[in-house]
Amino acid sequence: MSTAVINADDDQLEPTLQSILDQKTLRWIFVGGKGGVGKTTTSCSLAIQLAKVRRSVLLISTDPAHNLSDAFSQKFGKEARLINGFTNLSAMEIDPNGSIQELMGQADEGEGPVAGMGGMVQDLAFAIPGIDEAMSFAEVLKQVKSMSYETIIFDTAPTGHTLRFLQFPSVLEKALAKVSQLSTQFGPMLNGILGANGTLPNGANLNEMMEKLEGLRETISEVNTQFKDENLTTFICVCIPEFLSLYETERMIQELASYGIDTHCIVVNQLLFPKPGSDCEQCNARRKMQKKYLEQIEELYDEFNVVKMPLLVEEVRGKERLEKFSEMLITPYVPPAGGL
Amino acid sequence: MPSILLTVFILQLVIHVVNTLGASTINNVLWNLYINFASPKSAADQRELKSQFMRVRKEMNSTSSQDEFARWAKLRRQHDKLLEQLEKSKASSDAGKSAFETTASTLRWVCTNGLRMYIQYSYMKQPMFWVPRGWVPYYAEWLLSFPRAPLGSVSVNVWVLACTAVITLAHETLVAVAALVGKSGFTQKKGVPIRVGGEKTQAAGGAKSKKVS
Repeated sequence: MSTAVINADDDQLEPTLQSILDQKTLRWIFVGGKGGVGKTTTSCSLAIQLAKVRRSVLLISTDPAHNLSDAFSQKFGKEARLINGFTNLSAMEIDPNGSIQELMGQADEGEGPVAGMGGMVQDLAFAIPGIDEAMSFAEVLKQVKSMSYETIIFDTAPTGHTLRFLQFPSVLEKALAKVSQLSTQFGPMLNGILGANGTLPNGANLNEMMEKLEGLRETISEVNTQFKDENLTTFICVCIPEFLSLYETERMIQELASYGIDTHCIVVNQLLFPKPGSDCEQCNARRKMQKKYLEQIEELYDEFNVVKMPLLVEEVRGKERLEKFSEMLITPYVPPAGGL
Repeated sequence: MPSILLTVFILQLVIHVVNTLGASTINNVLWNLYINFASPKSAADQRELKSQFMRVRKEMNSTSSQDEFARWAKLRRQHDKLLEQLEKSKASSDAGKSAFETTASTLRWVCTNGLRMYIQYSYMKQPMFWVPRGWVPYYAEWLLSFPRAPLGSVSVNVWVLACTAVITLAHETLVAVAALVGKSGFTQKKGVPIRVGGEKTQAAGGAKSKKVS
């Protein structure tokens, strides 16, 4: 094994994602990082590897710029769909931003989590910051829970977005707790005005609506507890060995730690390994720079599994290429001998 | 039991001193004494934390994040942690301070104005001392014994007013004399280049003596 390791250091954790595959309790895996560092490629590859050792795997993209369809050359939608060529690997794409209108529409038709709320109160509920994304998120999670997938991989949107997204359960929980409290305080008074059955002017029922909000809050708080359990949830950071990406990764790791979300894997992507004797000036210069940051990463994240992935000469698209690429998550890539 | 006349005078003196120095100054002095003597450990801890924070911050700022990312990031983690601790300890000490100030203010009020009111109320009917008969006309006697002391005596309320007037006068006299002394000291040293301090005393003294006149 040691020959296959790029930097064989005894005190370092193995540079693969094998630990993720081995940790059978894992249910939610988030893959995140700055835009353009290869999150989608990494999450697809991880999904392929996981599908080999798990009963069923679902890959969800929450990135508004959906790339799963591109990566697998297959159209995915809001419903989970089996990926061509696999029997236990499905994918779906959700848009955390665009679903608020949909939720509103659903509510008008009498379905979805906010159905039955009166127009005015509905507007009020939607005024809580971040509730739209959190609601669609909760909705997806409810769906996913009923679908009984063993592991769910989230291909998240670029950094800032991801963090906001993960913060929502706490935000919403607080907001809903406030709303519930208000309703218990003023509910009797309102009921006094509205009459015994508590019907609001537009035909909605106050108690029923509060029950619905409470239910939503419970779902979300359950999700929150699950995300904070390191046996159930982990976050994989993807970065490239460049300053800004590293900076964002450090920030993200600190923020995740403050939310209590476990993270112990970093995928360093797009590493250049010029062949010995290569006279490509740019490649050699870049390799030098990348080497500098790689050393920094190893020094800083000595408690992480740091996986090093090479930059390939072709785009990683389609099942075969992804499968080949995914091998390197488990068996470390061996750079050409004698290179820089 | 000291004489009530003396007690009232001293009380008025204390009230005057407190009002001159300002309540917040006294509170601050008391608070500093309190944290340095009552809980010297937490004060020292906070100072230590602060100096540590400044040191880490200086080190972080002098470290290039691009050349030594690992070192910089470690410093930054330390920095963030210290900052959080510092803010927390500051918040708790602020809360402690405001509680302390409330207590101190209440106690001070009870010991000064509260005590004065108590004395004024309980000695209302008692004569402080008697004015020899025929020294002042009737209406003045009536005023001196106002509100409820026997006619021909001086009441506690009038005594309080008299003490206040004397203390204020004495204070203003002292300030004026100090200003005058400062001024003459300044004129004596005319050959010496003007010192900022001397000039300042003169200006302040001038302003104050003007107020007295």
